[in-house]
Parts: sequence; C-alpha cells; structure tokens
Amino acid sequence: MTFALAILPLLLLLIGFPIFLVLLSSVTVALVFYMNVPLAVLHQNLFGSVNSFSLLSIPFFIFAGELMGRGSVAQRLVDVVQSGMGATRGSLGVTTVGTSAIFGAISGVSSACVATIGRIMYPAMRRNGYPENFSAGLVTATGAIDIIIPPSVPLIIYGAAASESVPRLYAAGFLPGLLLAVMLSAYVMWVARRQGFGSSPPFSLKAFSKSLVRGVWALGMPFIILGGIYGGVFSPTEAAAVACVYAALVTMFVFRELGPRDILQAAETTALFSAQILLIVACASVFAWLLTVNQVPAAIVAWIDALRVPSWLLLIVINLILLLIGCFVDPISAILLMTPLLVPVVKAAGIDTVHFGIIVTVNLAIGLFHPPFGMNIFVAQSVLGLKLSSIYRGIIPFLVIYLIALVLITFIPQISLMGPRLLMGS
Amino acid sequence: MFERSIGAAMAVLQKALGITLIAAVLLNFANVVGRYGFGYSILWADEVEMFILVLVTFVGAAIVGWQRQHLAMDVLRNRFPPPMAALVTVIEAATLVAIAVLVCIHSFSYAQQMLMLGRTSDNAGIPMWIPHSFVAIGFTLLAFVAIWQAVARLLGRHSNTGRVEVRNDAATSAERD
Repeated sequence: MTFALAILPLLLLLIGFPIFLVLLSSVTVALVFYMNVPLAVLHQNLFGSVNSFSLLSIPFFIFAGELMGRGSVAQRLVDVVQSGMGATRGSLGVTTVGTSAIFGAISGVSSACVATIGRIMYPAMRRNGYPENFSAGLVTATGAIDIIIPPSVPLIIYGAAASESVPRLYAAGFLPGLLLAVMLSAYVMWVARRQGFGSSPPFSLKAFSKSLVRGVWALGMPFIILGGIYGGVFSPTEAAAVACVYAALVTMFVFRELGPRDILQAAETTALFSAQILLIVACASVFAWLLTVNQVPAAIVAWIDALRVPSWLLLIVINLILLLIGCFVDPISAILLMTPLLVPVVKAAGIDTVHFGIIVTVNLAIGLFHPPFGMNIFVAQSVLGLKLSSIYRGIIPFLVIYLIALVLITFIPQISLMGPRLLMGS
Repeated sequence: MFERSIGAAMAVLQKALGITLIAAVLLNFANVVGRYGFGYSILWADEVEMFILVLVTFVGAAIVGWQRQHLAMDVLRNRFPPPMAALVTVIEAATLVAIAVLVCIHSFSYAQQMLMLGRTSDNAGIPMWIPHSFVAIGFTLLAFVAIWQAVARLLGRHSNTGRVEVRNDAATSAERD
C-alpha cells in the first residue's frame, strides 16, 4: 500500500503527470491491487465532492474577478491610492502594494494581480527613477498578498479540505494580509528615502476627490462581498454571485467597457479555470478518502505524538515542508495534497485550524514568487517583459519580508484569530 | 481537418459551459433578490447550480485537456531529452485512457442505476442520472482527447494547442486580457 499511497504519487508528480491524474492513478492502483472495495466509490467520491454548494463560490469569485480585471478597474484603483498618498517618498511603490491589496479584495487570483497591476505600476515606477531590480521584485512579490486577503480561492479550497468555515477563514485573512501590506510599504518607503528615489507631487484634495469618484464603483465590490458576508446578508457563495452581477453591471453600464460578448468570454475563461481547479478537488477528495480509510492521518498523528515534538517545532517543520512544496506545486494542489495529512496532526497538537489555514496560505503565497520556479516570476517575465535576473535579484528583500511576516503569523495566532473574534464573535 | 473539427466542437462546448455558468450566477442572484425583495426563495435553485458545477468541472476538464492546460509540476519534464519526454507523454496518455475508461464504466453504470431506480433530486425533481452522467461524459471526452493527442504525437503531428506550463490558469487569462 505504501507504493500506491506514497511512492507512485511522488514518482508521477516528479515526471510531470497532471496532478489530477497523479491522484487518480494512485487511487486506482490502491483500489485494484490492494483493497477489496467496489470501484463505484471512485464515481461516488468524484461526484459527491464537486456536488457542493460552498464550492460554487470558486467559479463565482473567479468570474467576478475576471470581469473587474478586464476593464480600467486596476487603473482606477491605482489612481485612488496614488492620489491619496501625497508627497511621500516611495509613494508609487506603496501604491503598488496598496492597489494589490485592494485588487486582492476583488479578484483573489494572484497572477492576475501581478499582470494587471504590474502593467500599470512597473513602467510608472521606472519613469519615476525606481531601480529596475527593485521595481521588478516589488511587482512580482506583492501579487502574493492576493491569496491571503479575502476573497481568496485557496482559502475556500482549504475550507473544503479541512471542513472549516470559509467566513471564519476570510475573517482570519484580513490582518495577516494587512500586516504584509504594511511591512512591504514600510520597506519601500525606507529604501526610497535611503536611496533618494520616488518623489511625488503633494497631496491635492481636488485630485483625490476626482479619482475617488472615478474609483468608487471599483471600491464598492469588496464592500458588497465582505459587508454582505459579515453583515449576515449573504453566504459566501451568494456574495460571489452578487459580486458577479455587480461587476457585469458596472463594467457594462457604468464604465461602458464590456459588452455581452466580453461577459461570455469571461464566463468561458472562468469555466475552464474552475474545471482545472475542481477536477483536482474531486480527485483529491478520492485520495483523501483513501488515506482516511487506510488510517494514514491517524498513523502520522500517532507517530508525531510518540516523538513528543513541541507545537512550535512542529510548526517550524510544517512551514519548511510547505515552503518547499510551494516552490514547485501551485497553492491549490498543494493545499489539497497536504491538508488531509496535516490538519489531523495540527489538531492533535492543539493548533487552531483557522490559524493553520492562514499559515498554509502564507507559505504557499511565498511559493508563488519564490525563485527559481514561482509562478508569478514567469507571469512578470512574460507580461512585463522583465529579465529573470532582475526579478531574482529584486525579489530577495521582499522574500525576507514575507518570511518575517510568516514567522509573526505562525507564532502570534492572534494576528489570524483576532479577525474571526471581532467579526464573528468566536 | 479532423483536428479542426474537434477544435470547433471544443469551442462550442466551451461556449455552452460559459452560458451555463452565467445561468448559475443569475439563478443564485435571482434567489437572493427573491428572498430579500419578495420573501420568496427558489427552492430548486441550489440543486440546479450544483449540477451545473458538476457539468462545468467534468466536461470543462476535457476542454482543459484539449488545450493541454491541466495543472502539472512539469519543472523536471521540461528538461527531459525529447525521446524521454515523448515516452512520458505516451505513458501519461495510456494511463489517462485506462483510468478514464474505468471511471466511465462505473459512472455510466451508476447513472444507469439512477435511471432504473427513477431517482430524482429532492427539490428540482431532476432525474439523477443526468448529473451523474456528467462524470462519465467528461471522462469519455478526456480519454478521447488523450488518445488523439498521443496519436498526433506519435505521428509527429503536434496538435494545434501546445502544452503550456500553467500552474494557475489565471496567468494565461491575465495575459490574454
């Protein structure tokens, strides 16, 4: 059985089989050669895992982000943040961070953020005298905030895999996302002051009001989603559907940038992106079932329990494993592969599973831009035409900041748990 | 010629999935408006939306396969020498076909049982063989796509959609914008 559950999946993963096929192959080998279970369980698990109301929020949130990302929303958000900054040194860099954070509250897809915000901010920063490596590193690294700030697709996936409440996870993602944004902004301002670049015109109330009016419709989306969920008006799935309708109406009738054909095109892209994710969700659920019936998580818990590892050491080890996996595997697949194994272990160690969800997401967010294979590196390279060497060199200080934030988030659970306590009273 | 026809069929399917996704969004939105505006809930809406999700997942997976965009960790594979890469592609296709056929057999048989038992969904009254057969249809199409792509590769004819390293499709969607 070890062959089907560990060796085969690892081997197939390494030779580049699609992740859904890695999972299905392992399950099939286990069922056919090692277990006496009717193969109908394959179908039951595949169907049952996707036939879920909470997973509907995934295509809905992606669709809303697709619609909002197609027009001038990013430019409007940039204008609002930039005009509010005034004569702060490094204001364009801080605008990049701030806009990415707000974009994260709309879209929740990191690479889309790097591409959309990067296209606007990278040339602007270069024109303003920002060094090439610094600008490339900043644009590539800040997009990772997107999957931490709600609405985040990886958090929905973690919620489904760990049987944890998505609204609680969303509430928990706020402060860690904000912490990262503040740390990145502080670093940008410090470097800009030290190296003497990035001056900007003083604050003008007139310019700020004008850009606020232009951007108010784009800023309305996070309020609808998060206000709706925490105001008890909608479930996350309903909030996502309302956000889609809002995005379609705003981009069609207010901004007048999209037509029915664009909406359909966005829906088609969303359908395929969702299929890509949800097929892995379906196959991972069969794999998780297989692990459970073979008592693998229980065995791991017993083994770790026997080692008497303190929870802080356990968290360090888990962080290292997740950072390593995040360098090679996309966040969604990594969550689906690791959550069934790790959640029983952290539960047994007395670690809150909401807090752990944020730890997992921050680790995998780092993997999104971690050299050499972080996906956002390649997005920045292809979309912005940046040199890989510039990105690699520029990313290092931002990587250090993310790692410091990860340590804080890991060892100060309140950063993650204060949100659910304040918003949901638990 | 044949490949172009498959491509056209996939494009039609893709459009159909886009339309059903929009329908699911509108249904969900109508339910919210109905609940708050008119004190009326569409009880069957959730079931229909979930069945649409099943359809989008499994039929969409075949289109994603056709576009060679299934998520994979292909860091090592991209560095394989061409003969080894071709061998892995054939093994992958053979594995996919074998597993897809297995899933198809059991999914069709499950859907058939639903049909024979006359099972319908609780609120919408939709015959359950319909959503259950989406799994079988999706895997049938996936097997077909895998066979086609493996044959094209063996004959030295690359299909019109090259393998794209996509660890998150939003990257490509963002690039397309």
